[in-house]
Amino acid sequence: MSYLIGALLAQDGLTNGAIYALIALALVMVFSVTRIIFIPQGEIVTYSSLSLASLQQGTAPGSIWLIVALGLLAAGLEGFGYLRGDRSTSRLRAMAAYGLVPLAVAALTFATAGAGFGFLWNIVLVLLIVVPMGPLIYRVAFRPLGDATVLHSLIVAMAVHFVLLGCGLLAFGPEGVRTPPLIAGRFPVFGVPVSAQAMVVVAVAIVAIIAMALYFGRTLSGKALRATAFNRVGARLVGIRTEQAARLVFLLAGFAGALCGILVAPITTVYYDTGFLIGLKGFIAAIFAGLASYPLAALGAVLLGLFESYSSFFASLYKDAIVFALIIPILLWRSLRSTHVEEDEE
Amino acid sequence: MSTRRIALLVFTAIVLVLPAVLSAYGLTLMNFIGLAAIVVVGLVLLTGIGGLTSFGQASFVGVGAYTTAWLTTAAGLSPVLALPVALFAGAFFALVIGAVTLRLSGHYLPLSTIAWSLSLYFLVGNVAALGGHDGIPAVPPISLFGWEPSGPAYTWLIVAAVALSLLTVANVLASRDGRAVRCLRGRRVMLEAFGVDTARLRLVIFVHAAVLAALTGWLYAHLIQFVNATPFGLNASIEYLFMTVIGGSAHLFGAVIGAGLMTLLRDGLQRLAPELVGSGGATEIVMLGLVMVVLLQTAPRGVMPWLLRLLPPRGRPWMDLDRARAIAPFSSRPKPERGTELLTVAGVTKRFGGLIAVNDVSFDLKAGEILGLIGPNGAGKSTLFNLLTGISPATAGTISFAGERIERMASRKIARLGVARSFQHVLLRSDMSALENVAVGAHLRSTRGYLSALLRLDRREEERLLAEAMRQLDRVGLAHLAHEPAGSLALGQQRILEIARALAADPALLLLDEPAAGLRYREKQELAALLSKLGEEGVAVLVVEHDMNFVMNLVDRLVVISFGQKISEGAPTHVQNDVAVQEAYLGVAA
Amino acid sequence: MRTFALATLAAGLLASTAANAEIKIGAILSLTGPAASLGIPEKQTIDVLPREIDGEPVSYTIVDDASDPSAAVRAAAKLIEENKVDVVLGPSVTPTSLAILEAMAKGETVFISAAGSAVIASPVEGPKKWAFKLAPQESSMAHYVYGSMQKAGDETVGFIGFNDAFGDSFIGAFKKEAEKRGIEVVSDERFSPRDASVTAQALSTLSANPDAVIIGASGTPGVAPILELRNLGYEGDIYINQGMANPDVLRVGGDAMNGVMLAVSPVLVAEQLPEENPVKPEALKYIAAYEGKYGEGTRNLFGATIWDGFKLVAAAAAEAKQEAEPGTPEFRQALRAALESQKELVGAQGVFNMSPTDHNGTDLRAESLVRIEDGKWVYVPLE
Repeated sequence: MSYLIGALLAQDGLTNGAIYALIALALVMVFSVTRIIFIPQGEIVTYSSLSLASLQQGTAPGSIWLIVALGLLAAGLEGFGYLRGDRSTSRLRAMAAYGLVPLAVAALTFATAGAGFGFLWNIVLVLLIVVPMGPLIYRVAFRPLGDATVLHSLIVAMAVHFVLLGCGLLAFGPEGVRTPPLIAGRFPVFGVPVSAQAMVVVAVAIVAIIAMALYFGRTLSGKALRATAFNRVGARLVGIRTEQAARLVFLLAGFAGALCGILVAPITTVYYDTGFLIGLKGFIAAIFAGLASYPLAALGAVLLGLFESYSSFFASLYKDAIVFALIIPILLWRSLRSTHVEEDEE
Repeated sequence: MSTRRIALLVFTAIVLVLPAVLSAYGLTLMNFIGLAAIVVVGLVLLTGIGGLTSFGQASFVGVGAYTTAWLTTAAGLSPVLALPVALFAGAFFALVIGAVTLRLSGHYLPLSTIAWSLSLYFLVGNVAALGGHDGIPAVPPISLFGWEPSGPAYTWLIVAAVALSLLTVANVLASRDGRAVRCLRGRRVMLEAFGVDTARLRLVIFVHAAVLAALTGWLYAHLIQFVNATPFGLNASIEYLFMTVIGGSAHLFGAVIGAGLMTLLRDGLQRLAPELVGSGGATEIVMLGLVMVVLLQTAPRGVMPWLLRLLPPRGRPWMDLDRARAIAPFSSRPKPERGTELLTVAGVTKRFGGLIAVNDVSFDLKAGEILGLIGPNGAGKSTLFNLLTGISPATAGTISFAGERIERMASRKIARLGVARSFQHVLLRSDMSALENVAVGAHLRSTRGYLSALLRLDRREEERLLAEAMRQLDRVGLAHLAHEPAGSLALGQQRILEIARALAADPALLLLDEPAAGLRYREKQELAALLSKLGEEGVAVLVVEHDMNFVMNLVDRLVVISFGQKISEGAPTHVQNDVAVQEAYLGVAA
Repeated sequence: MRTFALATLAAGLLASTAANAEIKIGAILSLTGPAASLGIPEKQTIDVLPREIDGEPVSYTIVDDASDPSAAVRAAAKLIEENKVDVVLGPSVTPTSLAILEAMAKGETVFISAAGSAVIASPVEGPKKWAFKLAPQESSMAHYVYGSMQKAGDETVGFIGFNDAFGDSFIGAFKKEAEKRGIEVVSDERFSPRDASVTAQALSTLSANPDAVIIGASGTPGVAPILELRNLGYEGDIYINQGMANPDVLRVGGDAMNGVMLAVSPVLVAEQLPEENPVKPEALKYIAAYEGKYGEGTRNLFGATIWDGFKLVAAAAAEAKQEAEPGTPEFRQALRAALESQKELVGAQGVFNMSPTDHNGTDLRAESLVRIEDGKWVYVPLE
């Protein structure tokens, strides 16, 4: 293996690692605040890529119908809650927001999809379409569960994954898409041609990670979220509304997913079912971090990306088996570190 | 005959008659329901009852299927001879994987099962000996002395396998290990305190579930006569888990219901979906997912509890007092002579990071003595208690019990030496009867293992265990509530139940954490009398208690700690007059 | 709930409908799962197939197998027992096709697989007597690809293909042919259809530096290694295959596809074929039917396989119904025999000569050489 090949492999691994990192961060965040293992994160990524590709071709993406449907469902749930006796104005406000925001986004998309306002506007539209999916999915699928066990919400997450997968197939069809790069071209770095797109991916991932660290470390609402993560009952006692926290966290997860989709669309062909595998790799990184630490999750993701890249080079036949088996030593290491009986939840 | 039994008989009759009247397609559906039910029975044990979520069951099905497919094609073995090998292969894989992953807590486990099952899945397609991605074709049918079961006969074979799997799990659940399995979720600390090796138990049920899955694999391979990796992927595992939850994960029979409902639902959707929205499998997946979400939101415990409401409640393991008295008790532990040194705590310290919770505490306890451990809130009593029972290891100092050093010993080993305890926050299993809860305490009195329970060879021992539990319930005056669910007892009664459970372990040292809290005056008097009698029998008792009246009248000696340090020790009257104690309690500045 | 379940069992499963004269065609297709991009155009082709054969009405029942062999077996049992079909079109892929062999043979019903691997229907013995497979033989494809390579003076070849049944079968067959023709195989890299990146595999291929690279993948995932190779500056010839001959590949691949060649069924370039090509008229007929409904440029080879499957069934059924009534085991036997005896039957994809030992029946006429030029498929005569 020459220096050049080694370096190109490293570049490839880092790019993928950055994408896994974004997913892993979202997973860790959602889990720590809500105890939900958010399997459909991968689908949010694919929806974002596929929606962007549709818009690039000048057509309104099928995912619009999904958010409109989700929005109406969520509004219906709020309305139902209102009729059932909780006559608070916040209910009505939530109902209006859930119902109207997706409709407004849909109207905007239909009005401007064919107008050719350019790539940036399309990205804005994708964010508008995909980011609300996070809170909407939470409201419709997870919120009604109340304080469910991890297993219970994990299975709901799996079911939601299936729903989104099927909707993806209905909305976008079985074929894959690729969008043009955000920035084209290659620049030599230490004699190695580095693609501009890869630099964009890594840079965006780093910015997102730093932003998250700052948000959780420095701002009041970020600290409140962290408090919820550590102690849900306690957070509720001191007046942090866990439901609001969950909504916010799902919004952030939606944003991370949308970002990921926009970044990944130019470097790989995205299909309606691509998200699950990318998501799973994000999971491995998140497990590496014990579903708790953001920097460790990012580190795990990058290591995984590099590992995948080099094992593809040397043994492409066994690459997937190797990458997924990687979890076993990680778990062994984790389990050796904890020697005492840990009480699971009931 | 109970209504339940009649319902079961009717169901069995229908299941037995069905293969004879069904069309071949009906048989195929029934076969797949049965095959899935076997796996799901294992998942009910593992996930629903044991609390271990596995997204990898389909891989064990694959291990069984591939083993038998390879043995019967490449090695030319008869399918009947391949069966034990297939089951063994399932067990072996589960042992290896379980040894690595089962020590992980809660949510790591399901995630790790996703990963390793994917790894196996990707690997198998590249093993040329296993047919690569094309799989192994032309697997021979099962043949028993020239007879080849096919059509309804194969369905009956599958039905028999389902019945057998149900039986193995039902047998286990009705045993001492089974009671422990039922406590695995959220009660591991308690189990360890009564000597149960929970890590081993988790591994054993993991292997049990894997063997059942491998059995399905064997049946599958010889039914389809073709094996490749696709049906053993993650999606299949997820579907098994869905079935478990739909049926009602805490109910064994829910496995059959869940497998049946899911398979029929899928089939029904396949018929309906094309007519509803054009065509295509996407609609089917979406609807399946939606049905799951709605079901989990509205009936989180599955359909089984709903079905059971139609039937009268189940008879719990039965034992009455007269019968219990007639059964020969276990030989009890030889108690040390009254007055001999039993527990010695010397200079024990526990640090959590920079915080010193217990600082250089020393005291001792003699056989037959009742010692009170008191101190203001946050003095370190509970930490000390945890050090004595092995829940956390001491940072420094030594604790000896009956000549053995226990300051770093695991909880379950300390239990073996004859230490039993109650918990401040009662750790009972509220859906088990009072009797069963107490029987958990007697876990170490019997040595019958998992296998003998599975084969139902443990019945006499099991009866002795229940008799022992019944006698202890009688001893604490709760015999009349023996068959009530523990959760239905008043809080005071639950505390007494905790003590009965500790007594069932036949301890030489009894550690009680606030036993009198929530008790009424008369109950306290009775408890005090019981404890005094235990003392006379040679049992050493250590009581942590807030109720001063109760303690002062009960104990022989008191140890007072404050801010992690021992500040006084001696007879109740001596301690009462100790200035340091008054300062600690009343907060008078020194 | 239990009463519901029993009712379903009773109503749905005990029912056995009486046979009537219409010819019933079943189809087991992968409408979802990894092979959905094959199954969907196949289903769309069934939607444009004729509704009668030789004056008899034809009904179609399509079942999704989700690309899963177990589901395919269930589907086969359902079609045979419940729908009493006379013949089955599909399954879409090799594993599902292999899985239903036993069930189809037991039900004495012929199936015409749309999958690629030769093992499905050869050697014709045991249950494979009931299996037909229409996709052209890999050796015919190799004939055109290696012919073209040798014309260009290429001596070494590298493969990048799927890590699945398709990749194994395709690359395996091509390796065998390479040996016969004295072409040296210098690399063989695999990837999964949903991999985020194939950079490593492309680098590995590049370091072996073959004169030509053959992509053993199907659908748009096969584009990724081409993009990577071109990005990394590979300048040798690139060949794709039949499984990638669809408009989405051109859309996803863009400019990088320029100059890429493939051996493919002539239906892809039907309009450009010389008039003397025997397949041309039937190919144009398929295109008119399919593109008439789904739009220009939507033609699809998987669909064309189903089309040809129907052609064979129609020809054989016309003969078989002279001997027995559709819906009877005798009819299915006769249909099988009639299928085996079809000679010089012209389909959209090739000319079929079936025999009791050959359930594929294609020859070199089932392939042609095509080059991609500016997003168009261009017919290239080999000679």
